[in-house]
Amino acid sequence: CSEYQKALKSEDIAVKFKKGEELYNAGKYSKANKLFEQIIPSYRGKPQAEKLMYLNANASYEMEDYYVSSYHFERFVSAYPTSEKIEEATFKSAKSYYKLSPAYSKDQSETITAIEKLQEFVNIFPESEDLSEANQLVKELVFKLEKKAFEIAKQYNHISDFKASMASFDTFIIDFPGAQLREDALYYRFDSAYQLAMKSVEYKKKDRLETAKKYYMSFKQGYANSQYLEKATDKLNDIEEELENYSTKS
Amino acid sequence: QNLSYANGEKYTLADITVKGNTSFNAQTIITYSGLRKGKEVLIPGEEISAAIKKLWNSNLFNDIEIYLIKVEGNSAYLEIRLSDLPELNDIKIAGIKKGKKESLIKDNKLEKGVKVTENLITTSKNYLENKYKKEGYLNTKVNITTFTVEDSIQKARVNMVLSVDKGEKVKISDITFTGNSVLSNKKLRKAMKNTKRKFFLRFLKRSKFIEEKYKEDLESVVNLYKENGYRDARITADTLIKEDKKTISLAITLEEGDEYKFGDISFIGNTVYSDDFLRRKLRIEKGDTYNGVLLEKRIADNTKPDGDDITNLYQDNGYLFSSINPVETNAEGNVIDMEIRIVEGKPVYFNKVTVVGNEKTNDHVIYRELRTRPGELYRKSNVVRTVRELSQLGFFDAEQLSPNFKNANPDEGSIDMEYAVVESGSSQIELQGGYGGGGFIGTLGLSFNNFSLKNIFNKDAYKPIPSGDGQKLALRLQASRFYQTYSFSFSEPWLGGKKPVQFSTSVSHTKQFLYNPQTRDADKDKRFNITGITFGLAKRLSVPDDYFTLSQAVSFQHYDLQNYNTGLFTFGDGYSNNLAYTVGLSRNNTFNDPVFPMGGSNFSVTAKMSIPYSLLNNTDYSALKEERDTNREIEDNPENSTVVRSDARTRVSEIDQERFKWLEFYKVKFKGEWYTKAVDKFVFKSSVEFGFLGAYNQDRGVIPFERFFVGGDGLGSYSLDGRESIALRGYPNQALSTQDGGAIYNKFSLELRYPITLKQSAKIYALSFIEAGGSYDSFRNYSPFDVKRSAGFGVRIFMPAFGLLGIDFGHGFDNIPGQTQKHGWETHFIIGQQF
Repeated sequence: CSEYQKALKSEDIAVKFKKGEELYNAGKYSKANKLFEQIIPSYRGKPQAEKLMYLNANASYEMEDYYVSSYHFERFVSAYPTSEKIEEATFKSAKSYYKLSPAYSKDQSETITAIEKLQEFVNIFPESEDLSEANQLVKELVFKLEKKAFEIAKQYNHISDFKASMASFDTFIIDFPGAQLREDALYYRFDSAYQLAMKSVEYKKKDRLETAKKYYMSFKQGYANSQYLEKATDKLNDIEEELENYSTKS
Repeated sequence: QNLSYANGEKYTLADITVKGNTSFNAQTIITYSGLRKGKEVLIPGEEISAAIKKLWNSNLFNDIEIYLIKVEGNSAYLEIRLSDLPELNDIKIAGIKKGKKESLIKDNKLEKGVKVTENLITTSKNYLENKYKKEGYLNTKVNITTFTVEDSIQKARVNMVLSVDKGEKVKISDITFTGNSVLSNKKLRKAMKNTKRKFFLRFLKRSKFIEEKYKEDLESVVNLYKENGYRDARITADTLIKEDKKTISLAITLEEGDEYKFGDISFIGNTVYSDDFLRRKLRIEKGDTYNGVLLEKRIADNTKPDGDDITNLYQDNGYLFSSINPVETNAEGNVIDMEIRIVEGKPVYFNKVTVVGNEKTNDHVIYRELRTRPGELYRKSNVVRTVRELSQLGFFDAEQLSPNFKNANPDEGSIDMEYAVVESGSSQIELQGGYGGGGFIGTLGLSFNNFSLKNIFNKDAYKPIPSGDGQKLALRLQASRFYQTYSFSFSEPWLGGKKPVQFSTSVSHTKQFLYNPQTRDADKDKRFNITGITFGLAKRLSVPDDYFTLSQAVSFQHYDLQNYNTGLFTFGDGYSNNLAYTVGLSRNNTFNDPVFPMGGSNFSVTAKMSIPYSLLNNTDYSALKEERDTNREIEDNPENSTVVRSDARTRVSEIDQERFKWLEFYKVKFKGEWYTKAVDKFVFKSSVEFGFLGAYNQDRGVIPFERFFVGGDGLGSYSLDGRESIALRGYPNQALSTQDGGAIYNKFSLELRYPITLKQSAKIYALSFIEAGGSYDSFRNYSPFDVKRSAGFGVRIFMPAFGLLGIDFGHGFDNIPGQTQKHGWETHFIIGQQF
């Protein structure tokens, strides 16, 4: 019967705490947490509880069990607002949400929570040494949301629903003012408008060609050296050609 | 303590003591009361009352009182007197079935150790009385008594005796109406859906009295009048008369009022549609009997989400914020003039369209299925259809899928749409062992319906399998002593992601050993291997409507025989190739749940054909046929010597090898299914099927492969030679075709289904069926109505992890070929296939 097994079965909560701490320091977080979970109710309200809850939360964090660690750190923060570990706990709680955030193409509720939590951390601890990391994480997460919106709009282009694509890119440009994908967005918005115009029925064609031209202008204005410029200019030439028909007719 | 409340004086609490029969620590009680030593309080005052209240609210104590026992100058000495509430020790329940007792204890929280308060006793009593009244036991009496347990050592405890006297189920001997002259008693009684008179032939809806339902039924009576123009009708009195212990009668008095008629109906506020157009939608004319219910239905039918009413007319053309209110403007002379006031609002366009809750499935799989896209006009029917189609993907829980409107902006005419989905398990594992076909059969089947092929080498994606791209991947291994099958299939619904073109491929390999009648075992030296591969493309069409799918496939199968001589295969050591092209057109608009469609239909026509080799290869098949026939005669003639007969047999097999080196055939199939909702939740499924296998060159003949085998459960346990098992319940598997299979078949079936539960965890429905079908050797002896008939019933259970399981009991009314008596009962087990 190992010492750990003995501690597990022991009646003495102090023994469990001591053994748990030992295991924690040795990096055996899973075993440590098993002991901690047994004794947390008994220590509730006692002075040692602060340390215990911290160890419990951090062990989950180290085990990459981020669902649990986000929750435990959050509880720690609300229970011990004056603790010396408060900064670390706030950060780790937020970072746990960051870790839970899935690929951009799936539900982003965790991403949004993580951004909120990290922002909160930045606001409360502006002097923190984790500040630059926190800002970096926020940036990464915001980009994820940006990428999601961009890919959805681009997919509409891909499946030839150009109207939906244009509407989505319009929203994208408003929703993400400093977007990293702005250049791509402006190009694809133009491309959608171009394709829609070219496949248009006669009585709508002229208006649509003009819309496309307008989108080209705003694309070129922002990105005169764009990698897409050549392709875009070719398309513009097509538009001009088509538009000439109208000017000669009238 | 007789000091008046108003002129309380301020004291400092010097000490607080606790007295009374309690097992709690005095300090605990004091702390809980909120009073504490050294605190300044008014006596009497709010703090003291608050303390008493707090202790009461703990639900632990009885007889709580606080006394001022001594005053010394400014300090007061208080005493809290209380006693513990007794705990429940044991409960005895009489008058209820054993099985029900536990749930009763659970529902009322009458577990051991619970504090017995007056409240607990009263609520339990009320709960039980109401419960049985709801079941029709109107005379239920519940009696609860408690006895103190004499035991000085432990805390106060009581035993409880709970006796229930349900009495007899009360039936209604008569329902009488007074005051009715226009509508007969019979009609009014019929309107009462849940309150019925007792009648010995009434099996489905027994006579019983349930207060709530009775109230609803009274409303239905009034509504019946309203539908007939008597919009002032009301019930003035209703009396319940207890006749004896188990019967009551109901006497209802009502006032009919006058009959009303519709007068002028005018529309106000409509700019998009003309008065005439709306009037045609309304279909109510001046002079019609006033019918409030019908009017409401024509304006907004709440029973049907896609009803043909004026509200939906507006809702389907972007007018999300429209409202339509009928107002009575004049009711003189019992003629009611109506004004239908329409507020149209702006047409609404979708702004953002989002999906949330897709924890597994990738965005692109979902967004491509949406029929409501940014910048499009709002149409209610498109929202309904999107929900339907998302649930048909099979990745999400159909019951929990909800379309949510967000950020409605009537001024700008914009709305955001959010589809909230809940992922459901879409993988199925089939692992079974069973005894069948003369030996043990083991099957391992895996099917992943939301697979992600691109993540197959990404080890992080294995949770537990790569998923989220909407692809299907299935693996199936099956083995017994007589055969082994391995198959693999994959499909991608949007090849390239640009258009809904489904790509699918499958590979399979089957090994079949010949049954050796002497050893009753598989003869491993005599085998038959089939290896096949198929590629297919299916495309959703937009013309004639977008429920159509066009599919094409190319398939290749190689048959390899070794020492495998049967009646069917004359070329025992030969081989055969089957290269075929299949084209199919289908239309499927069944809804909503793919497991249990409530409506819609499903048609498909397919044609499978090989290259007409005989036109190209200059072989004289008629000469070969003649030679074969001659040799067959020699072989079958017992007068010939064995050597001659054996030579003839060899020649026949050589010819057959030549005939079937490359299979030459065409096969046409038609299948149609209709789902129709009958009363309540009953659904009719009717279907027709037809199949025909033909040859381009009659001399070359109809191939021995690809044939139809009618009868039984239709589960193709192994597709030996491209054969198709056609289900026809009530008969043994494949019993209705000849041993070599039919070249033509047809089948008619009618099924009545009833859903028992359609929960996500398990969907269960019961069914009964009648069907008929026949299998014919050639077109010459095809007669569509020379069929074998059967009828029966069964049940299906669908569980996400196991797929569909079911059992059917079918009765065959006709004889199977070779027998003279009708076949009778036959049991079918169904795994993973839908009839």
